[in-house]
Amino acid sequence: MTLAPDKYADVYPEAAVDPSQRLRFMNRYSVRRADACISCGLCESLCPYGVHRRIEGHSRILPPDDRKCVGPSCEVNYFYCVANCPTKSLSISESDNYLSLGDPRWTQEMILSTWRMAETAEPLPLDHPGNVGASGGGFDELRFVLPDERPHYDPEEISTSMELNRRGSGERITIPVPFYGGGMSFGSISVHTMLARVIAAKKWDTFISTGEGGYPEQLVPYKDYMITQIATGLFGVREETIQRSRVIEFKYAQGAKPGLGGHLLGDKNTPDVARMREAVPYTSLFSPFPFHSVYSVEDHKKHLDWALTINPKALLSVKVSTPNDVEMVSVGSYYAGAHIVNLDGGYGGTGAAPEIAKKNIAMPIEYAIPKVHRFLIAEGIRDEITLVASGGIRTALDVAKAIALGADGVVLGTSELVALGCVRCGNCESGRGCPRGIATTDPELEKLNTSAWGAQRLDNLYIAWRAQWRELLATLGMKDISELRGRADLMRYRGNRLKEVDG
Amino acid sequence: MYERYLIPLKTVEPRAPRVPKFSILRADNCVNCGRCEQACVFGVHIRSNADPRKMADPVNHLCKNCFRCIAECPQGALTMSRGAEYRTLGRGIWTPLRICTIWSEAETGKIPVLGAGYRGMFAGPGYDGMWTDMSEIVRPTRDGIHGREFISTSVDIGRIPPFLEFDSSGAVTTDMPPLIDIPIPMTLDLMRMKTCSKSMAEGFLTAAKLLETFAFVPVDQVSKRTLANLGESAVPVIPSRTDLSAVDLPDNVGMVELAAGTSWKNDHKALAKRFPDKIVSIRIDAVEGIENTVLEMLDRNVAVAHVQFSDEGRETSARSRHAKDSLRAIHRRLVEVGRRDEITVMAGGGLAAAEHVPKSIICGADAVSISKALLIALECRDCLECRSSECPADVSSAPSSWVADRVMNVVGAWRDQLLEVLGAMGLREVRRLRGEFGRAIFFDDLEAGFASQEERGEGG
Repeated sequence: MTLAPDKYADVYPEAAVDPSQRLRFMNRYSVRRADACISCGLCESLCPYGVHRRIEGHSRILPPDDRKCVGPSCEVNYFYCVANCPTKSLSISESDNYLSLGDPRWTQEMILSTWRMAETAEPLPLDHPGNVGASGGGFDELRFVLPDERPHYDPEEISTSMELNRRGSGERITIPVPFYGGGMSFGSISVHTMLARVIAAKKWDTFISTGEGGYPEQLVPYKDYMITQIATGLFGVREETIQRSRVIEFKYAQGAKPGLGGHLLGDKNTPDVARMREAVPYTSLFSPFPFHSVYSVEDHKKHLDWALTINPKALLSVKVSTPNDVEMVSVGSYYAGAHIVNLDGGYGGTGAAPEIAKKNIAMPIEYAIPKVHRFLIAEGIRDEITLVASGGIRTALDVAKAIALGADGVVLGTSELVALGCVRCGNCESGRGCPRGIATTDPELEKLNTSAWGAQRLDNLYIAWRAQWRELLATLGMKDISELRGRADLMRYRGNRLKEVDG
Repeated sequence: MYERYLIPLKTVEPRAPRVPKFSILRADNCVNCGRCEQACVFGVHIRSNADPRKMADPVNHLCKNCFRCIAECPQGALTMSRGAEYRTLGRGIWTPLRICTIWSEAETGKIPVLGAGYRGMFAGPGYDGMWTDMSEIVRPTRDGIHGREFISTSVDIGRIPPFLEFDSSGAVTTDMPPLIDIPIPMTLDLMRMKTCSKSMAEGFLTAAKLLETFAFVPVDQVSKRTLANLGESAVPVIPSRTDLSAVDLPDNVGMVELAAGTSWKNDHKALAKRFPDKIVSIRIDAVEGIENTVLEMLDRNVAVAHVQFSDEGRETSARSRHAKDSLRAIHRRLVEVGRRDEITVMAGGGLAAAEHVPKSIICGADAVSISKALLIALECRDCLECRSSECPADVSSAPSSWVADRVMNVVGAWRDQLLEVLGAMGLREVRRLRGEFGRAIFFDDLEAGFASQEERGEGG
């Protein structure tokens, strides 16, 4: 069988290795040198990675630079310092820094792998531990069962594209990757972070959403790659921002805080943010919940029609959370005229949300996708709507699993921020905001990252992810990622191992 | 005139040293360049007061795990680790994170709000195996967060007659049993506390009075004078095998509780006869078949079944169910006989976080009684050193006003979180949440459907 060459082959950006000294701090292993060391210098002459070093003319060897150490697996090598040390004064163990990074959902391995992909664009092997978390359920307990005999497709010929408009009418938009960037508002993240995301989106011919904080001027040149979000507070929404976009997103709810409305705590509402949102600086901004104009599916249709009146060409996306009746909401959205339904699961990211809401309200996305997928099939409208999932999609394999459960594609958020150097410390919400300069509006902190640097890192991450999908699809004998949709039978579920919940 | 229920909250500083979640170690090769001081936005790294040429020891409790200082230290001299003391806090469902959350709620009275998504396990046993539902469009008020002051959290304690009878002149002839309305579905329980000094008890009772709720107190440990002063909020608990004829209670005491022994049926009869104007509650351990015992209580006109679970939230018998299953069984049994409102079910034990309150209520409790979390609010570390007088937080010496303020902060923060959950569901009052199993999403149900779909192998 011959395959048509990928029609988007020329779209994909080149990888550029993008080293970041700032993200090289993490020493996965710690190398300890006991007092018994006689500074003989053998380790320095053996270690090819440069862990051990002595300054010319000094009698003592320097403390080990363990960020360069490859760990105990080095013992197979003739140059393994621990085995060769004549005074047995060296030891290697997992470092405390490494152990204090991450959490069950975003493990150390996952954060470091994401950083590495963002830096080098090298895909992660499909069996690498960085592909799955340790939360003991959902995506983390689903594994693809790969066939022993692998069909030989050239990964280069495999398409990973997603259609955003599956209805009969309107502009047909197909994006070459099964994802677009989710809504993160100006105010919750810095304008540099927004720019980095949209520059990368432009290169990939996909989209990012404005979130509920308006449309900063710097983003106008990228208007064809921006989704204008209309959320309950209507912050920064104007006729011109609706007219500017090819896709309009209605945010009914957000997975991390379903039913609560947006939060922007006062500290982060700087004068720039406030101007964009037409609010008073340094006051906390809470979006109401829900849209006060929408109390039924009929109201919902009026709401969508209103947006279409302002911008008749736009595609309409509806972002909803995952309550028990999520399938009814999705079907209602379809009949109201939506092109895209975005299910946002409970374990998704946020710039600020009450802790009680993140864990306890609405179901995780893993349960919602198949529920809605099956229901849409039963209604006979599955192929007329694009179902995208978000809220806890962390890695390329999570994307593939979401698609295998029944989604057409996904919406990304946190994984992009991790690519930009987020350590998941969870301090986005108040004070000066993100100490790493990503989710902040502090004029000093936001200078820690530039948009060009960030865009390149996102590029690299997408390149690596796409290579992972192609490898997976080639192994499964598929030539288009849409063939994977709804193929939960290709996965094995190990069941949940229930342990006490602690984050 | 309409008066809004408001819990006064204020910052209440801790008495014991703080337990840092992360600790930063500065190695000997630090050259005191001060780069960490510039890097840290939380003020962990500062120069020494005594000798400004040197860096002081890191202020670990301010550290928020951002790794900025570690990344920027030119010497690689800094190491972060998870706090050793923090990791040893608590046991079982009382995890270090939950204990620290209660501490911060007790200190600030605020709802914990953080950035970034959920960070814990996918699901867990007990209450971690359920999610509360939300409603995409139906709202209790038309104004989201600004309408929450109109959501009612009050519940009725006592027996509600199933119907009223009237005579020919239209006057009510039903003998109305005593019924008390408390503005929050939470009561304070001093009975289960491993330690409770006089000043602590006074603090808890003061908090109960200001919160307009109840505190369950041992009858022999509360003085006549206290009962006279705080009687409306104190519920004296009478141990089983007490000579009931010797029990004397002032008029202002509205509710009295009997610890169930083998003779609870007779004791209850005697007590109800002796104090016809008071609500009589029975405290009973949750064991296998508790739903049948509660049904028996209903038949004997017991007003309140105060069901006690273990600190882990489980029944105390050998083959134990979790409270979420046990409470559902009780609720179902009472609904089956069509008499759910004729008895109040109060659940105690295993309430370690704010979300456990709405979850207990969804499973069928009318209200809950909080006990261990109150001790934790006083900086207890759940280290079980209570008897050896080596309490690291020295809780027994806590002054009563401090105790009352910390308790009000925790209850206030928990109520606000209850409002968040009710708001998300679109409910106007907590009474409607009771026993609404359909308002929750149970892990077991979802899991059964989820695990079967791969076998069916549905294609798209």
